[in-house]
Amino acid sequence: MSRIINSGLEELSATLHKMGELAYHTVLAALRECVENRDAYNEIREMSEALVSMADHVEDRAFELIARFQPVASDLRTIKSYMKIAYDFARFGRYALDMSYANQKFGGIRNCEAWIISHVKDMGEKTLSMIRLSIDSLRSHDSQLAEKVTQMEEEVDKMYFDFLDKLIERADITTRCMVSSVLIVRYLERIADHATYICESIIYIATGKKVILR
Amino acid sequence: MAPKFEIEDLNAWFGTKHVLKNINMKIEENAVTAIIGPSGCGKTTFIRCLNRMHEITPGARASGKVLFNGLDIYGDGVDPVMIRRKIGMVFQKPNPFPMMSIYDNVAAGLKLNGVKNKKIIDAAVRRSLELANLWDEVKNDLNKSGASLSGGQQQRLCIARALAVEPEVLLMDEPCSALDPIATAKIEALIRKLAENYTVVIVTHNMQQAARVSDYTAFLYLGELMEYGPTKQIFENPKHELTEKYITGKFG
Repeated sequence: MSRIINSGLEELSATLHKMGELAYHTVLAALRECVENRDAYNEIREMSEALVSMADHVEDRAFELIARFQPVASDLRTIKSYMKIAYDFARFGRYALDMSYANQKFGGIRNCEAWIISHVKDMGEKTLSMIRLSIDSLRSHDSQLAEKVTQMEEEVDKMYFDFLDKLIERADITTRCMVSSVLIVRYLERIADHATYICESIIYIATGKKVILR
Repeated sequence: MAPKFEIEDLNAWFGTKHVLKNINMKIEENAVTAIIGPSGCGKTTFIRCLNRMHEITPGARASGKVLFNGLDIYGDGVDPVMIRRKIGMVFQKPNPFPMMSIYDNVAAGLKLNGVKNKKIIDAAVRRSLELANLWDEVKNDLNKSGASLSGGQQQRLCIARALAVEPEVLLMDEPCSALDPIATAKIEALIRKLAENYTVVIVTHNMQQAARVSDYTAFLYLGELMEYGPTKQIFENPKHELTEKYITGKFG
């Protein structure tokens, strides 16, 4: 017989999966906007706002489950972690919106030098694949899959610092390109960190162990 | 949707003791309503007023209106036996008829109501036991004594017995207080399932149980209805200070 807390947990999990997909598409839209000549600000803002209200909903429902069902052990770990993960997904949306704002203000990087565009694209792809990994490990509470984020996080960090090192040695870059690209890689680095937090939460749900993958 | 019960100025006494004071509330159909409150606050008396069981106690009386599907059950000419058939009751201690088999326990209400057709009774017994999530556990032992079952099974047998006469409402008075946590979890899951088709009113000392199973919660204190609302609201953000004190255990 199904436990009465189950329907609440299933609803939370379904909302989180929706959030994951939406967060992925929000970041994707912001990345495309950096290099393509398109204005996606309003679309990204709507998605980002939807993520915030979904995170509020998850928090409310998680609160209700705690108040009503006295969850313990894996149920309690799951609910606590779902609240954190909802916040992480909402952050993806927020950083995507910040990226889009910078694109609007400084014109993105589409007119910058090829090596800048290529570096940002690579780092964007790596970051998106970290988001995908976090969504996939959430789906099955798969801690082994979640652990794979560590290496990707190191790579993104390295790309971030390499980019800054390279940029600072180049006197020929316009200020506009400099500011735009630095903001974008900075936001990507933050997104990658939040994807890592999600993977840490998955490991906590699955094993009860608090690990730091960064 | 119209409420299942509309209770207007309900008062109840045992002799000169005034145990329920001007209760006004509506109880929603196909939902679980929990009645909580400290011992002696009138919880049990309240639900016994909903199917005219209160008046069975010598010296007990009630006044006010209890509209059930719009009909005042205390109105002139209303047959209390008919009311109790529509509004069944499950008690604190599982009380299967000890000399009867499992089958006969469930069939008892139907037989009392004059049903004689064996096929109809067979079908009703099976349907009721299935509804009570007990059929799979007892289907090969229907002739065994009801008293031979475990406490949790006996309570589900009592629920099946109540369901057999096709009531619209189940009143439950502390149905899990004599049961262990596993048996309690089964009854709670059953209550949620029943709420899809029945109106359930449950009295419980266990606030966590009220939080888990109910859609609406009423807090009674010294015979008065202090607060009543959606369970989520009562347990997350109660309006009344006494409710807050009671549910957080800061009483007295």
